[in-house]
Amino acid sequence: MPSLKQITTKIKSVRSTRRIMGAMKLIAAVRLQKAQAALMAYRPYSDAYRDVVLNVAALSESEDHPLLRVPEEKTNLHVLFFTSDRGLCGSFNSALIRNMQRYAEEQNKVFGDIKLSFVGRRGRDYFSKSGVATGKYYTGVNEKNSRKFSEELAAALTEEFRVGESDEIVLAYNYFVSAISQRMTFERLLPLSAQEADEGGQESSSDYIFEPEKERIIGSILPKYVQVRIERAMNESLTSEHAARMTAMENATSNADEVIGKLTLLFNKTRQAIITTELMDIVNGTEAQRKGGNE
Amino acid sequence: MAEKLRLKIITPEKLVFDGEVEELVAPGQMGEFGVLPGHVPFLSVLFPGRLRFKTEESEENTLIIHGGLADVKDDTVSILTDQSENPEEVDVAVARKDAEAFQKELDELQDAEVSEREELDKKLRIARARTGE
Repeated sequence: MPSLKQITTKIKSVRSTRRIMGAMKLIAAVRLQKAQAALMAYRPYSDAYRDVVLNVAALSESEDHPLLRVPEEKTNLHVLFFTSDRGLCGSFNSALIRNMQRYAEEQNKVFGDIKLSFVGRRGRDYFSKSGVATGKYYTGVNEKNSRKFSEELAAALTEEFRVGESDEIVLAYNYFVSAISQRMTFERLLPLSAQEADEGGQESSSDYIFEPEKERIIGSILPKYVQVRIERAMNESLTSEHAARMTAMENATSNADEVIGKLTLLFNKTRQAIITTELMDIVNGTEAQRKGGNE
Repeated sequence: MAEKLRLKIITPEKLVFDGEVEELVAPGQMGEFGVLPGHVPFLSVLFPGRLRFKTEESEENTLIIHGGLADVKDDTVSILTDQSENPEEVDVAVARKDAEAFQKELDELQDAEVSEREELDKKLRIARARTGE
């Protein structure tokens, strides 16, 4: 049985850990609120942009613009994989990595070569060890600089697709459903195929009017589309990360409470046992003396 | 034919406007254009400028938009823009000064790259839209 001193030390250490978890939870909650508000505002914009672009793509020929090119062969797949930079967010990263691995195995049957680029340190740390070909790597992305990062990434990816270095570009990120639920999503960014546009329920009326002419419009909205979708994925991923961290810290705090309760009980029991033993000693002592005196 | 148009003005930061309008005039790249209910499907790139629309409550509403896209389909007009401003909140004196500065810069720009010229042109148009002249 541990001594009283040992138990008090243990309780103290659990208490201080609990305080840190509690603080992290509060921080995550505040950041989640902000990120969620920004995301909810960005969603209508990025979805509307997507609708417009898919609509135009459905009405265009693949020769109209380099970004509408439909590769004849599927050889090089480029996946942009969004994870978090820091840990202490429960199974957020491990679940992403597990799904990513499964996806890569599946896609390996179709594509000869898969390249991974990373936003967030955790994903890179894992895959750089496991030897999958790795592309670019970005870290330190947050709500304030996501536009700048997405512009840079969009320019790089667009160029890569244009020159034919990649035949398909996919975004892999956690889609924010609610504070307690996130869903991993694989979104094909390029090429924009007519098939996908049909799924969007666009009627392909040929009497659509374009001003200026279609080719100019495509040239100005397609690169922007790539940037908007990347920024959207960044925002989704960041919001999901804060939500995951908040939930993880919430669980950790209540676990700590439970442990503190158990330890306090143990402390009281031990103290009672010590008192009882001492009392027994005294009672036994006096009993022995009285018996001795009577004789 | 529907009698009303549904207008949505969306920026990355927020949904600025979502409601029914009777007509609207937008600053298209090929010149201003008006949209009435029953318009054919139409997609246009917008210059920075003033967007005017008529609702049931008020005859004349104006918003300054910083370029973007206008998509007209099934009596729904979606305006996608980087930013929008309320003309009443603009400091006209500052905007006028900006416009003059950009104009001067643009005049002096000789053999700059196209993207640089376009960037400056956009700034100038935004400033002009803000002055309301």
